[in-house]
Amino acid sequence: MEREVILEAQKVTKHFGGLAAVQDVDMKIYRGEILGLIGPNGAGKTTFVNVITGMLPITSGKVYFKGKDITGWSAYRIGRIGIARTFQIVKPFRGMTVRENVAVGAMFGHKGKERSTKDALRKADEVLDFVEMSHLRTKHADELTLPYLKRLELAKALAMEPELLFLDEVMAGLNPKEIESAMELVRRINERGVTLLVIEHVMKAIAGVTERVFVLNFGMELAQGTPEEVLNHPDVIKAYLGEKFVERQKRKQQLRSNG
Amino acid sequence: MKITRFDKLFGGRNGVLLGLAVAFILILALVPLFASGFWMRTLTMIFLLAAMAEGWNYIGGYTGYAAFGNVAFFGVGAYGTALAMLRLHFPFFLAMVVGVLAAMAFAVIIGLPVLRLKGHYFAIATVALATAMGELADFWTSFTGGAAGLTLPFFNPLKWSNQFFYYISLLLVVFGLWLTYFLMNRKLGYSWVAVRENEDAARMMGINTTWSKVTAFALSAMMAGAAGAIYGYWSTFVLAEEVFKIDYTLQMILATVLGGPGTIFGPFIGSFIYYILITLLVFFFHVGEFHETILGTIIILVMVFTPQGIMDFLSGKKKLTISSLLENIRMHRV
Amino acid sequence: MNYEIGQGVVNALLLTGTLTLVAIGFSIVWGILNIINIAHGAFIMLGAYVTYWLFTLYGVDPFLSIPISMALMFILGYVIQRYLINLVIRAPLLVTFLLTFALEIVIINLATVFWKGDFRSVTTSYSGAGFAIGHVQVPYVRLAAFVISLLITGLLHVFMTYTRQGNAIRATGMDVDAARLQGVKIAHTYALTFALGAALAGAAGSLISVSFPISPTMGGEYTLRAFVICVLGGLGSIPGVLAGALVFAFIEVFSGVYAPGLKEAIALFVMVLVLIVRPSGIAGKAFYH
Repeated sequence: MEREVILEAQKVTKHFGGLAAVQDVDMKIYRGEILGLIGPNGAGKTTFVNVITGMLPITSGKVYFKGKDITGWSAYRIGRIGIARTFQIVKPFRGMTVRENVAVGAMFGHKGKERSTKDALRKADEVLDFVEMSHLRTKHADELTLPYLKRLELAKALAMEPELLFLDEVMAGLNPKEIESAMELVRRINERGVTLLVIEHVMKAIAGVTERVFVLNFGMELAQGTPEEVLNHPDVIKAYLGEKFVERQKRKQQLRSNG
Repeated sequence: MKITRFDKLFGGRNGVLLGLAVAFILILALVPLFASGFWMRTLTMIFLLAAMAEGWNYIGGYTGYAAFGNVAFFGVGAYGTALAMLRLHFPFFLAMVVGVLAAMAFAVIIGLPVLRLKGHYFAIATVALATAMGELADFWTSFTGGAAGLTLPFFNPLKWSNQFFYYISLLLVVFGLWLTYFLMNRKLGYSWVAVRENEDAARMMGINTTWSKVTAFALSAMMAGAAGAIYGYWSTFVLAEEVFKIDYTLQMILATVLGGPGTIFGPFIGSFIYYILITLLVFFFHVGEFHETILGTIIILVMVFTPQGIMDFLSGKKKLTISSLLENIRMHRV
Repeated sequence: MNYEIGQGVVNALLLTGTLTLVAIGFSIVWGILNIINIAHGAFIMLGAYVTYWLFTLYGVDPFLSIPISMALMFILGYVIQRYLINLVIRAPLLVTFLLTFALEIVIINLATVFWKGDFRSVTTSYSGAGFAIGHVQVPYVRLAAFVISLLITGLLHVFMTYTRQGNAIRATGMDVDAARLQGVKIAHTYALTFALGAALAGAAGSLISVSFPISPTMGGEYTLRAFVICVLGGLGSIPGVLAGALVFAFIEVFSGVYAPGLKEAIALFVMVLVLIVRPSGIAGKAFYH
């Protein structure tokens, strides 16, 4: 069955001076899926997303969204056609209330053009309801704790009514209970029809939420597949835990089968 | 820094303060009926400062791009108006439109390249702007009358001159207040605060930050240009070193910062406070020569103790105690 | 015509030295402390006046007064940073900007009140003398200024690269928190950096006083030049500042021939042009997002 490709990256490359942060990455994201993007620190995951979403200029390669060439588009244009993202280090508007923060997304995002500020504020209320932050509506963003700041970051992106949402390490810094509810939220967002690409280090979340995983290392694709395939892939384990670890595991296995 | 909450009016005590402000403005409207020319002229100066401060508030207060050269727009407004009246023989109001449009066009042209710069660099680029404008005006003698300046006719009939300038200046200030209120409820206003609070996030959320910043800049030019136009006609001569004085930039910034940047009434209130302060110091303490030292010291004290202006104290968000004054230092020291 | 160009080239080359000195102090304060020190010009002016007064009242040779003006500016800079600017250094840019802006105003106003606004000059017995290469004049004082500027810049480089304190400063500029964890005393290091910047400005002022008339308001245009040079040359590298100073010197000398009186406008124009075309300057950090 042919699934619709919502985003296609072709040989995306990003150089910083002499350093290749992302090198010839090909990726297809299918509509409706939750795609995981993992890789050791410095693998280029965030850089890749930054390039796709227009925050950084691309060095070479092409990006297509719903068939349209969006290579080199500036960030705000990309935000307006149905792509949204959260930032690893949250970027709230501290001087505004939670409600106003989210309303900005509703004003300028995908369906923002026809909305008045009043409508946007109402939409914000809806979104805050969805992420269960309505009780904090009138608080200023600088009064929130980290888990709520992360949730706010998500709400701002959701208010943009994206078709494709990039989540950059939303689980970082959360305790197990918070991770569970974050995972639940991600599933609920997907159920509403939003395609997701989730960058994560928390493997439990990857295994629990994604259907497909893409692994990046040194800016290049290392592996692709289901969470089980990928997390047991020797190259992936090597990348995260090092060659020595893999060797030690092998020797342990041999000892066990011998003795 | 807890600067400028995105409040519509005063934040806390909305009703009471708004009422007071409206009453104050009504009183101001009646002043010419019973006050002398001296008071009318003094208030007119305060109004012009307030207008410029309201304009600066758009780019500096709401958008967070500290422009340090807005006096350039004041000067362009003055010169544009003067030239339109002298060379094109336009009546004042039409000439003022010319002056204001010139200032705005200038802001857009300069703003497009310069607003790409981050905070600091933008700030000093605008300082350079104002100084360069002063030089240019001196240089282009055929156009601008050079060092001797341009001379405008007196207002006709002369006996109503004070009242005329008083009321149009007051009108400009009230217009500015209304404009701020209007814009802060529209997407443009939200985009400004978003840019100020987190420009990256703003971009990512679909805001065309360049457009947002340039409009803020252009509107600040509009207010400064209008003030310049009025000032030019009022003083009847337009001289480069008068209308491009870096002093004016400082005053409009200080007025805004004193009153509360990023608030609607901040610049208005701040202008009054500033004038009262300066007058007290100059007239009662005879510090004439040291006028600028005083100004500088006030700025330093404000920056150290209460950079968000007095608005927070007025609206009840903070209590005026030693502790709250030291809070800024506690938050921002090394 | 050739001689004019030749003279222009020599003038520009000699000017590069002084401009480098003018810009380097500004550059380290900007690069390490992230402060655009509007009062930079005030330190230049004060340095010039120190030299003037030492010369006029005590007959001290202007070149010999350089260490004194540097020392005095160093102390002044240290105190200002440590006990004033450090109080709000982590505040948003507007605050520190206005602070240094206000400082500039205060210093200049006080200088104008106490020393009057008239122009003064430092004229020694050798002020006008020089030698000639063909038809090109090379005044001794400008040559000396050039050499001394480069000497001081070189000493700064040695200090920053090879001494413990210098490395502490550089580390602080790169990552304050990491430096703090390494045991660097931040408040003191900041003050030291600012003091260095002020001292360098003072030296520049002293050198300027020998070749040009001075007045309380002389500093502003140098601050602007320092800024443009930093934009041209990029922050954070001494060779960068040198390169920027060189380019700027040439632009200034040659535009002075064709459009005198428009110096600031040209400086602005150059800067805006560079920022549009190459936001990272000729070499160095990007200035925009």
